[in-house]
Amino acid sequence: MKNIVVLTGSSHPKLAQRICDNLGIELSECKLGKFSNQETSVEIKNSVREKHVYIIQSGCGRVNDNVIELFILVQACLMGSAKRVTVVTPLFPYSRQSEKSQKKRLPQHQIGSEIMSSLTQQADGPSSLPQGTFAQSFMGMSIGEGGYRQWCARAGTLVANLLQAAGADHLIAMDLHDPQYQGFFEIPVDLIYAEPCIIQWIRTEIPNWRQAVVVSPDAGGAKRATSVCSKLNLDFALIHKEDLANTKESMGLVGEVAGRPVIVLDDMIDSGSTIYAIAVHGVFSGPALEIINKSPITQVACTNTVPQEEFRKLCPKLATIDISTMLAEIIRRTFNGESVSQLFVHDEQF
Amino acid sequence: MSSNSIRILAGNSHPALAKLIAKRLGTDLANVTVSKYSNQETAVTIGESVRDEDVFIIQSGCGEINDHLMELLIMINACKTASARRITAVLPCFPYARQDKKDKSRAPISAKLVANMLSVAGADHVITMDLHASQIQGFFDCPVDNLYGEPSVLRYIRENIPDWKNAIIVSPDAGGAKRATSIADHLDLDFALIHKERKKANEVSRMVLVGDVKDKVAILVDDMADTCGTLGLAAKTLMENGAAAVYAIVIHGVLSGKALKVINESVLTRVVVTNTIPHAEKKKLCPKLDTIDVSAVLAEAIRRTHNGESVSYLFQHAAI
Repeated sequence: MKNIVVLTGSSHPKLAQRICDNLGIELSECKLGKFSNQETSVEIKNSVREKHVYIIQSGCGRVNDNVIELFILVQACLMGSAKRVTVVTPLFPYSRQSEKSQKKRLPQHQIGSEIMSSLTQQADGPSSLPQGTFAQSFMGMSIGEGGYRQWCARAGTLVANLLQAAGADHLIAMDLHDPQYQGFFEIPVDLIYAEPCIIQWIRTEIPNWRQAVVVSPDAGGAKRATSVCSKLNLDFALIHKEDLANTKESMGLVGEVAGRPVIVLDDMIDSGSTIYAIAVHGVFSGPALEIINKSPITQVACTNTVPQEEFRKLCPKLATIDISTMLAEIIRRTFNGESVSQLFVHDEQF
Repeated sequence: MSSNSIRILAGNSHPALAKLIAKRLGTDLANVTVSKYSNQETAVTIGESVRDEDVFIIQSGCGEINDHLMELLIMINACKTASARRITAVLPCFPYARQDKKDKSRAPISAKLVANMLSVAGADHVITMDLHASQIQGFFDCPVDNLYGEPSVLRYIRENIPDWKNAIIVSPDAGGAKRATSIADHLDLDFALIHKERKKANEVSRMVLVGDVKDKVAILVDDMADTCGTLGLAAKTLMENGAAAVYAIVIHGVLSGKALKVINESVLTRVVVTNTIPHAEKKKLCPKLDTIDVSAVLAEAIRRTHNGESVSYLFQHAAI
């Protein structure tokens, strides 16, 4: 493969190395670091003039640092007269956009709910606070003065625009949270799925998988779960989370799981409130690993879009599905100008 | 309906300065919360309506620069989607200002990247102070106001340096000569320059003084003090050449790495920085540090921009 340069940011260098091993080329040398005043410093050692550059960066760890590093790398390649710059993001940063999920992630929401429950306990006493304004000002969806509803800014379009402004010509992303995200871009976007790798993992690692039931942890993931079911010829079930006003969530199961191994399928495990899962992106922030260790889970399997070594040391139940072959294939095909859709038709060789 | 009002939003980089500016303008800071989700992504919650308002977002390029830069971009974008009339980014210290040219192969021009990002996010106007190279204004398509700390520096010299009439203004390198001569002319003082002779790359071998500082108070003037290696050596050279005392006045006191140690061990009498970058913690560790408050300059610029008045008055006169 001539005229190709593969660069990596500092978010997940091991994955980039595996991708290059799969492609049979060397990872290009690039010195990444920070100046003494915390500004990011990028030095690309080899020439990129008239070459097709692939930059691999995942939106994990210190997200803002990695995002700015990505923009600076893209700009540096642009200034170095690269022919075309493709950005490969195994986990796209700031990709979660739905209003409901963002309210839950805010730390205030958790504080608010504790106070709410203590307030409702005090409600009968003479010293109870006026529940209207005080309680409302703590809930994530509060009504402030003058009837203004507080809202959380969504950075999705912004990050898409910034990436284009930095000079990217093409984006390859894996299992985006919302596939409609492609429409935010003017440049071509290739979405790839970890599904073939997951299916292969199920077939090899889960004993008596033929009797298993695939469960989706929420209504939004039903489509993803049914897709895996139909390829493996398994039954399907769904967990429905009811959000009552004060965060006590009740889970209702739709479908039959008695006496069978259960595979819960999700796209991202962040705060760890879903249990027993195969997920594409294992972010594991906050108390996620503790929750998993304490829960009745047999095993959690995640792909290596986010570096997993540290997580595996803390949680023996964690297994990793390697998607570097998938990413290497798509890089090879886009570079050679071949069709990529064959990768999604079906999964035998992966 | 009625004309719009000023709304000041502050990021997490320098809340103290933002409060000072808001106080000078007689308003409160807008109700905005900037924090992080558990996976380290930035979360911005807008708590009041900014529809059709004149929004000023104050964020300095200091500390955790990448985090603060993302906070700024997301806040600008949030105000844009909230239908603000005009969004001005106030950056007392412009981030990545020193990476403004391609000085070797494949070097990024990060200042241009930051300018592009601010435009794409939706900023209509940028106010900054003492850009490292004022040509950076050309990187933007939107109007940029590059304010000067010079009038505040002149006032500080007149009020706080004893025997200033007998002082001499010194530039610690050739690049800052223009800045130093401008100050020297305003104060009617003499001027000197320190020239670095580099034998090997990244090793300052000798510092040569051009000018006479014997028995005078030497005032070193520069735009940025980062690791303070240059300042420490310059002060030593000046004392060796017979200066009575050495002061250093810089606009942006980044003071990273070993800077405080260098200052404490050097022969400098005092190091004066403006509050474009927060340094309250550093002052506790380094008694030689002093502050020039520029919140008045920024607040005046904001007020004049909002009212449509001329800002050039501030280039000559220190705001009170």
